[in-house]
Amino acid sequence: MNNGDRKKYVFFGIFTLVALVFWTRIIFLAADPGNYQRAISNALKKITIYPSRGIIYDRKGELLVYNGPVYDLIVFPRELKGLDTLEFCALLNMGRKEFDRRLADANFIAMTRRRKDNSFNRSATFKTNLSVVEYTRIQENLYRFSGFYLEQKTDRLYSRKSAAHYLGYIGEVSGKMLRQDPYYKSGDLAGITGMESGYETFLRGKKGVRTVFQDRHSTEKGSAAGGKFDSAAFAGPDIYASIDIDLQEFGERLLEGKTGSIVAIEPSTGEILALVNKPDYQPDYLVGPNRSKRYQQLLLDPKKPLYNRAIRGIYPPGSTFKPVMALIARQEKVLNPTTLHGCAGGYFLGNLRIGCHPHGSPTNLAQSIAISCNAYYCQVFRDIIDNPVYGNVRKGWESLENHLRSFGLGSPLGIDIPGEVGGNIPNLAYLDKRHRTKNWKSGTIISMAIGQGEILLTPLQMANVAAILANRGHFFTPHSIHGIGPDLKKPDAYTQRHQVSVDSVFFQSIIDGMSAVMKPGGTAWSAAIREMGICGKTGTSQNPHGKDHSLFIGFAPKDNPKIAVAVIVENAGYGATWAAPIASLMMERFVRGKDLPTNAPVLLDRMTKPLQPVSYANQQQGD
Amino acid sequence: MPTNNRGTNRARLDLTSVLFYILLVGFGFMNIFSASTGADTEFSLSLKEVYVRQLIWMFGSFLIIILVAFSNPNFFEFSAYVIYGITTALLIAVLLVGREVSGAKSWFGFGGIGIQPSEFAKFGTALAVAKYLGTYGVKFKGWKSIGITLGLILLPMLIVLLQNDTGSALVFLSFALVLYREGLPGYFLIAAVWAVILSLATIVFSAEGWNQYWILAAIGSIGLLFILLFRKNRQAWWLIGTLALGSWILVQAAQWGYTNILQTHQRNRIEVILQLKKDDKGVGFNLIQSKTAIGAGRALGRGFLQGTQTKMGFVPEQHTDFIFCTVGEEWGVLGITFFFVVYFGLLYRLVILSERQTTRFGRVLGYSVTSILFFHIAINIGMTIGLVPIIGIPLPFVSFGGSSLWAFTLMLFTFLKLDERRLSYV
Repeated sequence: MNNGDRKKYVFFGIFTLVALVFWTRIIFLAADPGNYQRAISNALKKITIYPSRGIIYDRKGELLVYNGPVYDLIVFPRELKGLDTLEFCALLNMGRKEFDRRLADANFIAMTRRRKDNSFNRSATFKTNLSVVEYTRIQENLYRFSGFYLEQKTDRLYSRKSAAHYLGYIGEVSGKMLRQDPYYKSGDLAGITGMESGYETFLRGKKGVRTVFQDRHSTEKGSAAGGKFDSAAFAGPDIYASIDIDLQEFGERLLEGKTGSIVAIEPSTGEILALVNKPDYQPDYLVGPNRSKRYQQLLLDPKKPLYNRAIRGIYPPGSTFKPVMALIARQEKVLNPTTLHGCAGGYFLGNLRIGCHPHGSPTNLAQSIAISCNAYYCQVFRDIIDNPVYGNVRKGWESLENHLRSFGLGSPLGIDIPGEVGGNIPNLAYLDKRHRTKNWKSGTIISMAIGQGEILLTPLQMANVAAILANRGHFFTPHSIHGIGPDLKKPDAYTQRHQVSVDSVFFQSIIDGMSAVMKPGGTAWSAAIREMGICGKTGTSQNPHGKDHSLFIGFAPKDNPKIAVAVIVENAGYGATWAAPIASLMMERFVRGKDLPTNAPVLLDRMTKPLQPVSYANQQQGD
Repeated sequence: MPTNNRGTNRARLDLTSVLFYILLVGFGFMNIFSASTGADTEFSLSLKEVYVRQLIWMFGSFLIIILVAFSNPNFFEFSAYVIYGITTALLIAVLLVGREVSGAKSWFGFGGIGIQPSEFAKFGTALAVAKYLGTYGVKFKGWKSIGITLGLILLPMLIVLLQNDTGSALVFLSFALVLYREGLPGYFLIAAVWAVILSLATIVFSAEGWNQYWILAAIGSIGLLFILLFRKNRQAWWLIGTLALGSWILVQAAQWGYTNILQTHQRNRIEVILQLKKDDKGVGFNLIQSKTAIGAGRALGRGFLQGTQTKMGFVPEQHTDFIFCTVGEEWGVLGITFFFVVYFGLLYRLVILSERQTTRFGRVLGYSVTSILFFHIAINIGMTIGLVPIIGIPLPFVSFGGSSLWAFTLMLFTFLKLDERRLSYV
């Protein structure tokens, strides 16, 4: 037995060896950080909590855009059992072919998803954005279709059917947005145009995260770490838009049946009061089940209903540009209120002739605006750029160009709605190229004197010019925001005052002229509404696309102005015929509310009619 | 007649072993509780809850301990063959009327609970082997006694194998250690280890598509080396020659057996363990998750009830065969070290107790209990850390399950009772 007794040490040896080998192995497992990380990533699932998007009100607190529920139909292909396809299709009003196609797609997505992220979630969207009818039908019968589930999302709803371009729409984020902003995940909704895009960073709020445990079937198993890693979602703040929705709707009514744009600005703040484009669409048209289909349809529409003319359309300003020229000439000391220039039915320079309509001659500055004398401004223009103090016309032009740029022309103003273009104010290089010589003279570019030629402005820029005139020399970058959140904060960029290069003392004589436009003998007398101190300037701009555009810029009241307006009605003829009355009614509507004076209904009645071919002869002459 | 200091021939029930037993069962219950409750399960006393059932099994074990403690240990020696007969009969019965659980027909089903006779068959076999070897005049020598001993072991082993419960059948191999203690020459064990190494090498070679003549060459060179070492000893030449030939036959047999006897899933398990196969989804998934769980505990563990790997179901069979993962994940290397001290401490203690037995019956039973426990521990923990193929046998005293807990309790306390009375046999 002594021999046997010694064998117990063999047992001790074997036990010790095994224990040591195991223990060493376990040390190695525990020392590998990959194990801990794998355990964490196995068990924790981050669930994004989507905040509700900020609600948009107008400047008076009228509800414009809010959120409402929409539903997606989700399918778990592997849970499908004894589906009555015929009945299912009938409820969704869907053909058998479409059903098969959608199911095949869902199957594919569910399978590839499983393979891709090794997840056990095998669902796929069967149909997005169910209509209310589809939703109620399916919801009542859902228990009979195993494998199908409804998923609720929220979408944008609109309480008023206007201001589509201004408000914009939301859609799924693009690849570019995904790359630029790590906030987004594929499939997120974000503002694509209009205010929805401009104030996206506010409206979207802040996503929250809920960290939960998940088991190997990806089923949630309660909040992880007592919610230590969770963060709440914060709803986007309410946003007060700068527009007056009643004014906006009034403008849309006026422009109905025409092609053009109205932009109204509050001069004291730069806030957009109305931004009307026609043709347009109703904002709720791009919401719901047919969003992408309808978007395609609008995109292909030859009338371009998606085109935001107010900030993307560029037009020669025509005679509405004369006050600007006059201001610059005053600043350049080449024009006095008493300066007289004659007009013999036009301006003649060698072979060149700029025509003018019959009126009394000569005129002083105020009269030249009131009756819109072309010859007067050809002379003014030449006085500016051929001013001997500059030595040559190139220097003279550069001086003029700098003045014009200080009015916010030639480049985007910086409105908080994406897509704004800058129009055109030519520089020397542009003019050299355009006229194929460096030896052009003031006569060569004389058409710019009356707002034709190379000068192009957006309706927004024209409205801003009106605001500058109203403010006597300064402006605030036009913007669509009245205030963010309850304390109505505004981005700093929109509270900065921009001074133009013309001193405010020079404005009075020009404004007197603009006031006379709306008085007997002025070009827009017919559009005037009594007792309203409206100042304005008509324009009729020639363009290569057909009949002249009807233009008007103006503000009211003359002292302490409340509203500045630019109106463009494409191919409608004289500015006094359409643009002036529309602008006049807009200003009237805003300043006085609904009480339009006695002659307004007549105007209103005339303006709300669709654009008809009008006889020039019946209209008051002059543009 | 020797007496203890109390003047009787009764020693005390070995308190060290009892303490280790209580620690293991208690620690086991904590881990079962943790592994069987999810993060959001509410505490309840329903019988559906795994931990409630374990409490019942623990209470049953307590009754077994009381019963054994107040019994006359001679009863087990006298009725050893009867008990062996009963457990073997139950093994046959389960083969006929048993319930099939995951491919193995090794369970009696009584409503919600199942009894696994193979757990008790180990006890029966241990008693029978101890009884036979303890019989006056029997020595573990000669064909007859060796044959009878091996027969007693192989009979239940074969029946369990027929039940398709390979894991439980393999446990009977642990008797090799007992036989070693009782006189089996050491080179049998060495040969067995050599055989395992050779078989694994064969599998690796054939799976990798290498030529098996390399193995022959290796065996040959090792043989030549030994012949050179013992070149003066003619007898060693013969031994080495026989060994080399035997090895070669073994290689062929292993090759044949691997491709023809083993089933696909068994081959897969072996190949995954040997890292011949990269398989993160099937067999490999379980192994990766198991190792992840143990590694995730790091030094100090993630804390009681904090182990996500086991609580969220990533580890398979988390409260039965893979309970060690919960130990690792929630208690870390620190907990495992404590656990090992207790577990292997119990094994050392049992060897000491076995050696102090005054009868051969007692010693053989002691070594049987020790060896069976050791085999279970080594295979089960080795499997969870990826050192041993996945073989479904429980971790004694720790894994959930009534049959296993009761059988091991019965085995341990029968031996401890015997140890308590050892002085009365001198």
